Amino acid sequence: MAKKVLTVDDDPAIVTITETIIEEAGYSPLTAQNGEEGLSKVREEKPDLVILDVLMPKQSGIKMYRELKSDKNLKKIPVIIHSGIAKRTFLRSQEALTEFGDESVPAPEAYLEKPVEPEEIAETIKRLLN
Amino acid sequence: MKKLLFVTQFEELWFNAIEALMNLREAGFNHFVFLHIIKREDVAMHRGVGYLKEEAVKLKEMANVRFIDWAESLYEQGMEVGAYVSLGDPVAKIINTAKEEGVDLIVTGRHKRSNLMELLACPESIGVIRKTSTPVLVYKYMLPSGQTNDKPFERPLFATDFSPVSKKAISYLISLKEVIGKIEVMHAVSEKKLENTSTLNVQKVRKKYRKKLDDICELFREAGMEAEPHLYVGDTAEQLERAIQERHATMIVAGKTSKRKLQENFLGSLPKKLAEESRIPVLLIPPKIK
Repeated sequence: MAKKVLTVDDDPAIVTITETIIEEAGYSPLTAQNGEEGLSKVREEKPDLVILDVLMPKQSGIKMYRELKSDKNLKKIPVIIHSGIAKRTFLRSQEALTEFGDESVPAPEAYLEKPVEPEEIAETIKRLLN
Repeated sequence: MKKLLFVTQFEELWFNAIEALMNLREAGFNHFVFLHIIKREDVAMHRGVGYLKEEAVKLKEMANVRFIDWAESLYEQGMEVGAYVSLGDPVAKIINTAKEEGVDLIVTGRHKRSNLMELLACPESIGVIRKTSTPVLVYKYMLPSGQTNDKPFERPLFATDFSPVSKKAISYLISLKEVIGKIEVMHAVSEKKLENTSTLNVQKVRKKYRKKLDDICELFREAGMEAEPHLYVGDTAEQLERAIQERHATMIVAGKTSKRKLQENFLGSLPKKLAEESRIPVLLIPPKIK
């Protein structure tokens, strides 16, 4: 059975491209449009990898990432952050939330700042799933 | 966590305005949602051209670039941020987004040197105020002096008519107590109520309304806030302007009773002088807060 890769992004164009990359790499794509929906899909489908945007409606990737990595049943799922938001900002935001009393979470397994070539996305997925 | 919907056309409300609202975090506002609306007339139905899809995409991407920049600043401070770039009718988009996100405050406005009449007559703001059940802050960031209104919640002037919606406004203001400096509570008694009456009756009227104002101030004080009552006599709009000046108010707060009442109080009877001279933000509280 093919491994499942969940893409969480509110941009339909990005979702379509990523779905194609995942399929061509031999994996099964899943999609969600925001962090809230993404988290619910993670709990429902238990994907093997999550590709996560940051700036999204309803719930951002920053919050979803924290919830994912704070859940003992889900925290081992590797996450690729795929966003226009800089890696430095993402890490600083996590530090700020930890300072406000939230649990400390590890850095994501990979960080790809948009725009990214399809080959690089494919390579990162393969590296984390193999 | 409370959400704030920040509606921006970029040229009208800039990033400094967001920074000025950041102290709302002390009142629990940790989630800012940005909304930019591309109006249909900007990209569609141009004679002989039709729908300008490429222009719409370009405008959307330009807005996204701005939002990423804004979001990065807020994320680094541990805030939660969301963003929408929508195409269509501004009022409908604002109402729908506020509903979808379940926001606790809508902020709309302009930073240009507009007067209160223009501020309130801004069709988008008025359209939203009429239809929403969420409090709306029509934010005026730039002051006529060229200075900025960086602390709109520092000294709000709460204009009350003692109606049920005024009570809603009191509760809402108490929920913001962490960011409010001092509340100036005012009511303007109509001159008509004092016509053909004796000195004793005038004093009775004064005492009656002063007591009502004192009772409201007591509610704020019980919540640990500083509040002071002020009774004025005369035309509401004129007295409102006087109170703004005398109390150095940084914002007007009022309950929104109905469309007609709103127009009556703020648009219809507003003298030109007030329209030209008053330039502070207005926080309107609807009768049914979500």
